[in-house]
Amino acid sequence: MTAASVRMRRFLIYRVAGWGTLLIALGILPWFGISPNLTRLLFTSLIWIITSVAWNLLGGFAGQVSFGFAVFYGLGAYTAAMRISAGIPPLAAFAIAGLVAAIASLLIGLPTFRLRGPYFAIATIGVSEAMRVVMTNLSFTGGASGYRVAEPGPFRPLEHYYTALGFTAMAVVISALIHHSKFGLSLQAVREDQEAAADIGVNPLKAKLIVHLLAATLTGIAGGVYARYAAYIHPQGVFGFHTSVAILLMPIIGGAGTVAGPVIGGFVYGLVQEELVAAFPQFHLLLYGALLIVIILFEPQGVVGWLGQLRSFIERIWRKSAAASVG
Amino acid sequence: MPPLLSVERLNKYFAGLAALKDVSFEVEEGQICGLIGPNGAGKTTLFSIIAGSVSPSSGMITYSGKDVTRWKSFQAVRAGVARTHQITRPFRSMTTRQNVEVGLHFGHGSAGGNRSGEVTEILEGVGLGRVADKPAASLCVGDQKRLELARTLAAKPKLLLCDEVCSGLTDTEMNEVLELLRRIRERGTTILYVEHNMRAIMSTCDQVIVLNFGQKLTEGPPLKIQNDPAVIEAYLGKTAAD
Amino acid sequence: MDAADFANLLVSALLLAGIYAAMSVGMTIVYGVMKIVNLAHAGFLMLGAYFVLELYESWNVDPLAGSLLAFPVFLLAGMLVHWLLVKRIPVSDQPTLASLLLMFGLWLVLQNIGYLVWGNSDRSILTTRTLSSLHVGPITIPTVRLMVFIPAVCSLLLLEFVLRKTWYGRAVRALMQNRYAGRLAGIPVEKMARLTFGVGIGFAGAAGGLLAQLYSFSPDFGHGFLLRSFVIIVLGGLESFWGAAAGALVLALVETFSILVLPAGYQPAIAFSLLVLALILLPGGIAGIFAKKQRWA
Repeated sequence: MTAASVRMRRFLIYRVAGWGTLLIALGILPWFGISPNLTRLLFTSLIWIITSVAWNLLGGFAGQVSFGFAVFYGLGAYTAAMRISAGIPPLAAFAIAGLVAAIASLLIGLPTFRLRGPYFAIATIGVSEAMRVVMTNLSFTGGASGYRVAEPGPFRPLEHYYTALGFTAMAVVISALIHHSKFGLSLQAVREDQEAAADIGVNPLKAKLIVHLLAATLTGIAGGVYARYAAYIHPQGVFGFHTSVAILLMPIIGGAGTVAGPVIGGFVYGLVQEELVAAFPQFHLLLYGALLIVIILFEPQGVVGWLGQLRSFIERIWRKSAAASVG
Repeated sequence: MPPLLSVERLNKYFAGLAALKDVSFEVEEGQICGLIGPNGAGKTTLFSIIAGSVSPSSGMITYSGKDVTRWKSFQAVRAGVARTHQITRPFRSMTTRQNVEVGLHFGHGSAGGNRSGEVTEILEGVGLGRVADKPAASLCVGDQKRLELARTLAAKPKLLLCDEVCSGLTDTEMNEVLELLRRIRERGTTILYVEHNMRAIMSTCDQVIVLNFGQKLTEGPPLKIQNDPAVIEAYLGKTAAD
Repeated sequence: MDAADFANLLVSALLLAGIYAAMSVGMTIVYGVMKIVNLAHAGFLMLGAYFVLELYESWNVDPLAGSLLAFPVFLLAGMLVHWLLVKRIPVSDQPTLASLLLMFGLWLVLQNIGYLVWGNSDRSILTTRTLSSLHVGPITIPTVRLMVFIPAVCSLLLLEFVLRKTWYGRAVRALMQNRYAGRLAGIPVEKMARLTFGVGIGFAGAAGGLLAQLYSFSPDFGHGFLLRSFVIIVLGGLESFWGAAAGALVLALVETFSILVLPAGYQPAIAFSLLVLALILLPGGIAGIFAKKQRWA
C-alpha cells in the first residue's frame, strides 16, 4: 500500500468517525431532556439540512443550479399529507412522497436538461412558479386554503425528531458515497465541461437525470416529514418561491460541491431562520443575499472554504511557532 | 480485412453553407493517418462528426463494420473512438489525476484492474507525473496539451482522433509528443491526426488525406502528397506564397 | 364575443405590449453586451416604483415626470453596481452561473431593503388619470394606460435611435455581435459595459415607475415581471432589440386573450409555462447562444 492511500484511508476514518460522533450526539441529546422549543428548532434544521444536501447533489456536484426544488418539496409534502390522512403508515407515506417527487424530477429533467447552465436555472423558475399556481387552484388538495393532515393519536415531537434525524443521516451518507464514487467523478466532469466529459465517455444527460432523481426523492421525503409535523400545509408555503430560494441558498453558503458544506449551511439557516424570522423576517434574507454576493465574488466554497482558509492560516502559525521553538 | 473506419459521401451543411462535400476515405487498422488542409477546410468538423458531437447532413460512417453515423460522443468513446480538442478543455477545478480518472472510468473497456496504478502509468507516460495532484487550471499550455492527450488515452481508444496536439508547443515538446504518438500506435491504436505542422505530419504518418474547401483533394503516402502539384497549389503553394 | 370586445382586447394587449417592451429592454441590452442574466432587474423595477411613489407623495411630482427622472438616477445607480460588483466576476462570452447567482444575491438584498424601508403592505399610485378613460367609438381606453404606453414607446424609439446613429450605439451593437472583434477595433469594453449596465438599470427604474401607475406593488413587485421579462427576451431571441418588442407583443396578446379560455386563477401560470416552452421549443431563438462551457464561479 502506498503512502498516499494510507493517508487517504486515515483521512476517511477521521471523516466517518466525525460524522458518527455527530449522529450519536444528536441521537442521545433528547435523553437529557431538551425543551420542546429546542426540539422544534433541531427538527426544522434537520429538514432544511436534508433539502440542502439534496440540492447540493445536483447543484454542487453536477453544477446544475435549480430554482425549482420547491416543486419536489411541495409534492412530497402534499403526497405524504394526503396518504397519512388516508390512514397509511407514515414511513410508507414518506416513501410514496419520495417516489412522486422522483417521477416529477424525470418529467422536469428530460426536457430542461437540454438547456445549459443559466437557461436551465431560468427554466426551473418557470416550472416551479407554474406548479405553485396550479396547486393554488386545484380543488382536491384544498387549493389556496391549504391542506390539513388528519393523523389520529397524540403529537409526539421526539418521533418527528428521530424520523428527521434518520433521513438526514441517509441524505449525508448518500451525498458522501456519491462524492467519493466514480459517479461523483462523472458529475464533477459534467459540471466543469459537459461536452468534454461526453468526449471521454460520460453520458451527461443520464448522469444529470440520475442525480436529479436522487435529489428530488430526498427533497420529497423532507417535504413529507415536514408536512406530517406541521399538520397543515398550503401552496404559498411549500411550493413558494422562497422555499426554492432557501433550498438553493443553504448549500451555496455552506459550501457547494462539498459534503459538509450543505449540512453546515442547512443547520445555520434553520437556526437563524427560526430565531430571526419572528423578529426581523427581512433582515434574514438580506443577510443571505449579501452573503451570496460575497461568496460568488470571493469564495465559491462558502463557509467550508473559509474554514479551510482559517485552518491553513492556523497551521502556518503553528508551524512557524514550532519552528521557532525548535530553533 | 475491412478498414477500421470508413467514411462514405459525408456532407455537412451549416445554415446552408457546405462545410463538407462528399468526403469519402478509409483508415486501416494500425495506421497513423494524417488529415491536412488549409484553415476552414473542414478538418475539425469532420472530427466532430466521427467523434459523435456533431451529426452529419448526409453520408455514412462505418466503424469496425458497424454503422455509427449518428452516434453520440459518449457512445463513440465507449466503442473505442475518442478525440482530443484543438483548444484544450481540461476540467479546471479537478486535479490532473482526476481528469485522467474520468477517462479511465467511463471510456472504452473501463472495468476492474489496478486503477490508480494505471492512472500513474498514463501520467508518467505523457510526462505529467510531477503535476498529478495539481489542479488542471494551474497547468501551463504544454502540460494542458499533454493532459488533453492523457485523458483521451485513458479512455483506451482503438481509434484516436488527434486535433493539433502540436500547436503552441516548442520543437522539443513537439518531438516528445510525436514520439508518444508512435508509441501509442505500436501498442495497437489507430490514429487519425489533424495537424497544421507539415513536418509533424510528414515524419509520423503512413497515409495523408488532403481536404480543401470541404472536399477531399487527394490522398496517399506523405512523399507522394508532398510532391502532388494540386496539393502544392492548394496548400503548400499558398503557404510558400505567404 | 363581438367585434367591439375583440377590438377592446386587442387595444389593451397593444398597450400592455408597449410597457412590457420597455420593461424587458433593459435586460436585453445587458444580456446582449455582457451576457449577464440580470435577475436583479426585478429589484430595480421595484425600486423604480417606490422612487416614483416617494416623489409623488413627498413633493407631488407627477408619476410620469418621476419615471422620466428615474432614468438618470438609476443609470448612475447601475454604473455604481457595475463598478462595485459586476466587473469583479470573470468576463465570459457565455452567460455564467456565477453572474446569474451574483445578480440573484443582489435582488435578494434590494428586495429585503425594500421590506425594511417600506414594509410589506401593498401600495399604489392614484392620480386623477387613474380612473378616467377615453372613448373612441366602441373602444374604451383607460387614460393611465395610454399615458404609460406613450412614454414607454418613445423611450424605446429613442434607444433605437441611439443604437443606430451614435458612436455609443454602434459600439454596443458591435459588442453584442462579437465582443472580441469589438475589443480589437478599439472599443473600451469595460467602460462600455459599465455604461450599458447603467442604461439597462435606468430602463428598469423608469419602467418600474411606469408599471407602478398601473398595478399595486410591494417589495416583491418585480417578481412576476421578471419572469415576464424572461419570456419576452427568450421569445425574441435574447439579444435582439426588435425581437424583444415582438416578444412583448406575443406575451401581451397571449395574456390578454387567454381570459377567454382559461379560468382567472390560472392566469399567472401563462407567463411561466410560456417561459419553459419557449426555452425548450424555440432553439431558433437561443440555439446559437447555448453555452459551450459553463463554470461555477
